[in-house]
Amino acid sequence: MKLFKSVLAAAAVTIGLGVASPAVSNDEGPILVVSGPLSWPFFAAVKKGFDDAAEIFDVDYQYIAVTDTSNMTSDYPRLLQQAISREPRMLLVGEFFPDGMDPLIKEATAAGIPVLIHNSGQTLWEGNGSIGFVGEDPYQMGYKAGQIQADAGVTTGLCFNQVPGNPTVEERCNGYVAAMKEAGKETIYQTIGTGDATNPQAMTQAIKGSLQANPQIDGIYTLNAVPAMSALRAVDEVGRKGEIMVGTADLSNEALLAIKNGDLAFAMDQQPYLQGFMSIQIAHQYLNYGLHPIGHVKTGPLVIDSSNVDETLKVNKEHAGVRGAS
Amino acid sequence: MLRNFMKRPEAGAFAAFLITYLFFALATPGTGFVSVNGTAGWLNLAAELGIVAIPVGLLMISGEFDLSIGSTVGASSMILALGTNQYDMPIWPMVFLALAAGGLIGLANGLAVVKTKLPSFIVTLATNFIVIGATMGVSRLIANVTSSSIVASDSAKFVFAARWGQANISILWWLLVAYIGYRVLSRSVFGNWIYATGGNLDAARGAGVPVQRVKISLFIATGLAAALVGILQGVQWNSGNATYGMGFVFQAPIVVVIGGVLLTGGYGSVTGIVLGTALFGVISSGIFYTGWNTDWIQLFLGLLLAAAVLANNYVRRLALSSK
Repeated sequence: MKLFKSVLAAAAVTIGLGVASPAVSNDEGPILVVSGPLSWPFFAAVKKGFDDAAEIFDVDYQYIAVTDTSNMTSDYPRLLQQAISREPRMLLVGEFFPDGMDPLIKEATAAGIPVLIHNSGQTLWEGNGSIGFVGEDPYQMGYKAGQIQADAGVTTGLCFNQVPGNPTVEERCNGYVAAMKEAGKETIYQTIGTGDATNPQAMTQAIKGSLQANPQIDGIYTLNAVPAMSALRAVDEVGRKGEIMVGTADLSNEALLAIKNGDLAFAMDQQPYLQGFMSIQIAHQYLNYGLHPIGHVKTGPLVIDSSNVDETLKVNKEHAGVRGAS
Repeated sequence: MLRNFMKRPEAGAFAAFLITYLFFALATPGTGFVSVNGTAGWLNLAAELGIVAIPVGLLMISGEFDLSIGSTVGASSMILALGTNQYDMPIWPMVFLALAAGGLIGLANGLAVVKTKLPSFIVTLATNFIVIGATMGVSRLIANVTSSSIVASDSAKFVFAARWGQANISILWWLLVAYIGYRVLSRSVFGNWIYATGGNLDAARGAGVPVQRVKISLFIATGLAAALVGILQGVQWNSGNATYGMGFVFQAPIVVVIGGVLLTGGYGSVTGIVLGTALFGVISSGIFYTGWNTDWIQLFLGLLLAAAVLANNYVRRLALSSK
């Protein structure tokens, strides 16, 4: 009877394991990736990283993202839920909207699906049972920018957010404001109507208006390369070129050329390609050998300024899309 | 004479524009909002929206919507970028290709609407997704990017991105499109057909108006105008982006309605649309000159727009009731 019980228990455990972790034990099906909208050059570079690594490591994966960016807060949890219900071998997730996505990730990890977080979710991955995180800390990205501007003597910094309501992007402004405040500087936080997030003309006029209303502004930090170009034009239009230090998060070819010309002081690169590439590499090594890095793999920010801009431009020309700009 | 003016569709928009402009002139003292450069600023903003708003307005007078303009702007800028940057083509052939693409999207919208008799609101919303999806897919296949630099010649830079002081050449394009729109709507037989089609479709058809041709032509015109805006933005900012123009999808119908066009069709004027666009430019640029906390900006924008449309409606009713 005792023997029978333990056999039964062993069988139950075996079956239990078999059910709970089919992902590790068989090679069927693709790795599912829930990541950012490909209309953003940034995520185009992340995807290039996924693609290249998938080819090198011979991994089958599928990229899932929204195409319409107007309801991302509710669309992303839905996409994630659909991905989980397909019981993937492994799930690589950008945790852009923690309120809706974190409970789902906990569900997935509890069901035995290995999860790796990339890009966003740097403070959450340990709590939700994921094996790790690959990406930047948006707060640090802004903080570093604030430090650079404070050190350069900026007294009043403007943080311009073109996508109000996006918590990850907002963190960059929070970091920027914190660093400036620590150095005893003033800051102004500015947003724009949500319909104008991709209209460079509207951004130019918004920044121009703010510069006119607040003539003491002598530093601007933008959260993407497109508004960075709008900021440069606004500075030019109010006749204060050379007096206002402009820096940005993320890159574009235009922004890099502006750094080369000396119009733009710096661009913070979180190296999106690495986020995609390393995620697939880690997934491959985890699924096959059970290996993975311990903790937070940092891909940014790398500061691009006049000292290293030439090299970046060269890569941009020879390998389109890798630097997230063209 | 005043009473005659009050009866015109643009009277309300004109009153709303004046009040709003005075409001911002008084609320932003010493910031340069009323200066030449400040004026150039809101005109630049209004011009790009205005170019596409005029054909959209004509289309709305004829009783149809076009929500595909947003992705057409992005698609046309990406055609310039991919052609000049990836294939080293000279810019002018790409300009004509971009315009042709815009015209084709309009033709497809027009044919789909008149053949299926489905609401154009839905048909063109679908087109909006189809076009931006195709733009992104093709861009990624070709160059693995969804935004890319544009290489423009000096002549193209002059025609699409010349500046006098801080005023863009797009303002002249806006005036040109407005003039053409005005001639067509108010000084041509085709204009009467547009009003008739939107006012009473069956009566118009009975009277021998080629209503299908009217609608298809206007859809082509919106496609061309949207492509022109994509070219203007692309050359001006030296880069194409699949998401350029998405804000116009709803901003264009908004300024058209502020300009006195009835959502149900059959009533409106080009002067009104121009004033509605100018009003929108003043509000969305002037608000930043106030230095107010920008978290509230959309609230103010919404309230001012609601007030403008109400004022507009009130003036029009007043004018039409007082014989």
